[in-house]
Amino acid sequence: MLGWLDSNLVTMIDGVAFGVLLFTIALGLSLVFGVMDVLNLAHGALYLGGAYLAVSIVGDGGSSVLVFVLALLAALAVGALAGAGLSLVTRPIAHRGHLDQALLTLGIAFVAADLFSELYGNDVKSVRAPAAFGGSTSILGSTYPTYRLVVIAVGLVLAVGAWYVIERTRVGSLVQASVADAQMVRALGVNTTYLMTGVFAAGAALAAFGGVLGAPILSASPGLDTRVLILGLVVVVIGGLGSVSGALVGALLIGQVEALGVSLVPTYASFLTFGTMALVLLLRPSGILASGRAA
Amino acid sequence: MRRPTRSRYATVVAGLTAGVVLTACGGSGSLGGDDDEASNGAADDTSPVTVGLLVPTSGVYAPLGEDMQQGFELFLEQNDGQLGGRDVELEVIDEGETPDTGVPGAQRLIQQEVNAVVGIVNSGTALGVRDAFEEAQVPLIIANAGADDITGARSSDYVWRTSFSNGEVAAALGPRAAEDCESVFLAAADYAAGREATAGFERTFTEAGGTVAGSVYPPFGTTTNYQPFLAQMQQSGADCVYTFFAGAEAVAFTQQYASFGLKDSIQLYSSGFLTEGGVLQAAGEAATGVETSLHYTDQIDSPRNTEFVEAYRTAYDEAPTVYAVQAYDAAQALDQAFENGTSGPDVVEGLKAIDTIDSPRGEFGFNEGHGPDQTYYLRRVEQGEVGLVNVVVEELTTS
Repeated sequence: MLGWLDSNLVTMIDGVAFGVLLFTIALGLSLVFGVMDVLNLAHGALYLGGAYLAVSIVGDGGSSVLVFVLALLAALAVGALAGAGLSLVTRPIAHRGHLDQALLTLGIAFVAADLFSELYGNDVKSVRAPAAFGGSTSILGSTYPTYRLVVIAVGLVLAVGAWYVIERTRVGSLVQASVADAQMVRALGVNTTYLMTGVFAAGAALAAFGGVLGAPILSASPGLDTRVLILGLVVVVIGGLGSVSGALVGALLIGQVEALGVSLVPTYASFLTFGTMALVLLLRPSGILASGRAA
Repeated sequence: MRRPTRSRYATVVAGLTAGVVLTACGGSGSLGGDDDEASNGAADDTSPVTVGLLVPTSGVYAPLGEDMQQGFELFLEQNDGQLGGRDVELEVIDEGETPDTGVPGAQRLIQQEVNAVVGIVNSGTALGVRDAFEEAQVPLIIANAGADDITGARSSDYVWRTSFSNGEVAAALGPRAAEDCESVFLAAADYAAGREATAGFERTFTEAGGTVAGSVYPPFGTTTNYQPFLAQMQQSGADCVYTFFAGAEAVAFTQQYASFGLKDSIQLYSSGFLTEGGVLQAAGEAATGVETSLHYTDQIDSPRNTEFVEAYRTAYDEAPTVYAVQAYDAAQALDQAFENGTSGPDVVEGLKAIDTIDSPRGEFGFNEGHGPDQTYYLRRVEQGEVGLVNVVVEELTTS
């Protein structure tokens, strides 16, 4: 057992790093769907937008931590603006069902993808981690990139912060109430328009933030947006809608499946992620953590 | 109004997820060009010809398509827009990413009665359109797609190739790698090209006395994190690693190979696509020291290549890639073939009559399956004057 742990510990740590990246994508997706009842398929484009922002600001030379933090802040701002914009354009069709929303947001995603390839070309663009975290750390004799440890730390801080806002503040309880029953919240005199725009902006900002944070690991290239979106949707299905802890558990689970699972049964690597989703849908159709806060 | 329950939402999300997966797999791509009637005149000596260029101008292979178009057009420019003494009208159609877009593109060119078609990046597309070209008697010169079958089990008089076959590129490296390492770990993207490459390498490597310590095939197109596979390589105790990755996966693999500390302890060998063109610059310093086999690098020291690289740099302000050379040579092949006539059978006769093509990679002719009979080079990534380059270490002897 100890020997097994010894040889797989690094892989498990890496699963956590990948999981917290997924969390930044999935949380926004989950909240926007939960609160606004809008399925935002342009969410992957927001992530890729953040990654390209990192390409522009940080680039592939060694940079200081300050420049990297600047890129993260810029991504938050740009993401929030884009999210508010998306919330505006989706509002008129909010009552027209999920298919129309999916078509609109998927269309926006295609337009965004074409714009990105127009601006940045079709080649892969890599981003260097800040010089201070560019090296490697030794974990149990294995070399591990320091930057991924930083990602884990940042991601966990983010998760705790998001959990606090949603579970322990007034805004958070309004968001939760809207997930449960938006009409009732409106009837109680809360301006849900502001609330929804705010949630959309925050979710989008988080995705763009994730784009910058993930850029040194996943680079930026055409097609990354759909890959990230699909993983985000899988996490949302697994974790349940509109809950921070659900998104976190789902993201960490998929992170482990993509790392440890792939390492243990590489032959079935392509099936593991969707197999996990299918299994969760069979056993707990509303998501792993949904039962505690059922609508 | 009743709100649907939470589980209904989950089902909707799951359904739409499946939809997105399908869309992503289907790829996108538009068909360009207009419906000009191809001028397919009688075979007098100066009648003009129409050549279809089927290359990806959208999707993940677009960088390759751009290089191929530039290579083909460079040869045209150098020859006053003529091939075989005939004016050439070029019809460019987007191949897209997959056979979904590539096959209709090819059929469209066949319907337009072009005299020949050049291009095709995707092997699935190449194999999918083979019969259509044979039936319509339109010569096809493949300028990239590397499936072994194209010039092997499913070769055709109407299908020619100026690029490579996956197995050959890898097989050329096997004996050379066996000189430096006793055991190798094989890792390749899990699709036809990756499997063919590792099979080719394994065959010649084990024939030369090496052993395979293990192998792993990460899912193609969806893998972004190679850490689990890298851990297996480390634990296998192999002396060397042989890989086949291209595009974004090549960048991710090369960078992670370095950042997880394998670069300094286990020599990395690969087919040359891991470190070719834009992919190499994106991978950056992590790629230095990687040794690859390929039939071209812009660093080849020959008068023919120097002249070609200069002309290419003057025209496009960048170094030529192997993809540009493959299309350039396809134009050279047609230049010789069109002298024999413009009808399909005449062009095929012309192609069969070709003795050698004066390629920047070195002279080559066609083998029995109509693939190139060429030299492969062992290349090592080093820091050049401007960015990283693939220097020639030596010529590889093919068995």
